[in-house]
Amino acid sequence: MKAIIEAKNLSRWYGNVLGISEVNLEIEPGITALLGPNGAGKSTFMKIITGQLKPNLGEARIFGQKVWNNRQIFRRLGFCPEVDAFYDELNGQEFLTGLLSLYGFGKAECRKLARQALELVELQDVSSRPIRSYSRGMRQRLKVAQALAHDPEVLILDEPLSGLDPLSKRKLIRLIKDFRAEGKTVVVSSHVLPEVEAMTSEIILIHHGKILARGDIHFIRELIDTHPHMIRIKSTQYRELARALAGEDYILEISFQPEDQSVIFETHHRDRFFDRLNELLLESGLILDEITSPDDNLQAIFDYLVGR
Amino acid sequence: MKNEILRVFSFYFYLAKKSTRTRIFLLLSSAAVLMSLVIRVYRLAGNWTESGQVIFQNFLMVFFLQFLIVLLALFYGTSTVVEELENRTLPYLTARPVARAAIIIGKFLGYLTLTTILLFFSILLSYLILNLDRQFGMGDLWTIIRYSLVLWLGLAAYLSFFTFLGTWLRKPILVGLAFGFGWESVIQYFPGTTQKLSIAHYLKSLLPQYTSSSGKLGFLFIRLEPTKPVLAVIILIAIILFFLTLASLIFTYREYLFED
Repeated sequence: MKAIIEAKNLSRWYGNVLGISEVNLEIEPGITALLGPNGAGKSTFMKIITGQLKPNLGEARIFGQKVWNNRQIFRRLGFCPEVDAFYDELNGQEFLTGLLSLYGFGKAECRKLARQALELVELQDVSSRPIRSYSRGMRQRLKVAQALAHDPEVLILDEPLSGLDPLSKRKLIRLIKDFRAEGKTVVVSSHVLPEVEAMTSEIILIHHGKILARGDIHFIRELIDTHPHMIRIKSTQYRELARALAGEDYILEISFQPEDQSVIFETHHRDRFFDRLNELLLESGLILDEITSPDDNLQAIFDYLVGR
Repeated sequence: MKNEILRVFSFYFYLAKKSTRTRIFLLLSSAAVLMSLVIRVYRLAGNWTESGQVIFQNFLMVFFLQFLIVLLALFYGTSTVVEELENRTLPYLTARPVARAAIIIGKFLGYLTLTTILLFFSILLSYLILNLDRQFGMGDLWTIIRYSLVLWLGLAAYLSFFTFLGTWLRKPILVGLAFGFGWESVIQYFPGTTQKLSIAHYLKSLLPQYTSSSGKLGFLFIRLEPTKPVLAVIILIAIILFFLTLASLIFTYREYLFED
């Protein structure tokens, strides 16, 4: 399949700080996820391929054309930036209509496309409210709406799921998959592995500005499954819970945090741990208040992968 | 390119109309009308003997020419890029199929149209209030049009210069303030060609009736050595085009980074 997005020896630095270094990539139609911890270089890469930044070295091409200052490309591209920024004096409908007018659509067409996009992200009921009154999740969805309102062939989404509640995340993931089903190209960045897993199996691992690995998500899953995980459970019955799980062979360490009534398990087999936890809850009727992963960020996993 | 400029103009005119800044400047422009009313009442009480025309001329020089148009141009012009950077909305613009130069020119025209409306509304009402004691004729219409055009030229020239500052500097307001209210004022008191290094000089040259003896505030223009009106207009137009072109070029080739 022909590559839609090409990066050749792409390097970018900010003074002494490295953004990305010698990135070589070819991205084909479908969903490709850029996975990496904060500061890995995902946003820098996305800004370069959307013409927001110039590379110091190398070049970025979309549809075989250079991106910087190429407005023919921008017509075929939708970009959802990471930052939570809007023209707050506008309402949702005005925001989309205004941005669509920059493509040269007529007024009626702008209104129609804006309405369709708002329906796609389920903001039609609040479209006449000022953006400043929107919740974080609504603002995030509006940002996605502005990226796809003009029906682009390539969609670049920088952390599109951040700030969304689980239901909105699921809906947005479905929307992104529908976009792929039309044969289009989506590049999406995230630092949360389960989100990426839900969207695509094609991932690019990026860390310290370099491409660490690329391929099917199962490959990284296997690597990660051998990496010890920390799982923190908050419950008034945290001691009973610890006692019940202490004998399991995949539990490496248990530590207590009595001050907030929680227990931290360290395991090298997350799936087995959660299967057993589910069984235990059904059998014993234990009540849990909260489950979190203190190291559920990619930094820990990447540090592990690069052997730090 | 023309269509792209019109698209940007249309969006930003609408956006600027709804902005808090425009509401503040509408109030400031209305302050001129209020001041005219105060002066009118003061005159009715017999405290000011000059005609409404002369008072208006002085008022125009001090408030409109040396204050309002500079302030309007400063806050709209410098915001062209800086505001997008501070609010982080720049990617919404630069990822659209619009030439970067069209963004600058379209925004410039949008802001110029909006500030012109604010300015003309204020000039017209102030003139009418200060000259209520006599019958209006064609001469008044001509006077209003003439003063409005001179101020409009000044507004466009300052706006163009401040737009350039906004694309070039990260913090253009301080430099703009120093230029608009420092350099532009002080340089007027220097004799010879030095005073020609200001926009205000050419604007004052288009209002030749102002001499050291005209009005109570005539001392402000005591050292004016006017440029010929035709030349002054040409120079003002050249200033507008030069700085607008420069701003467009800078914005086209420069990349803008957010603070972090």
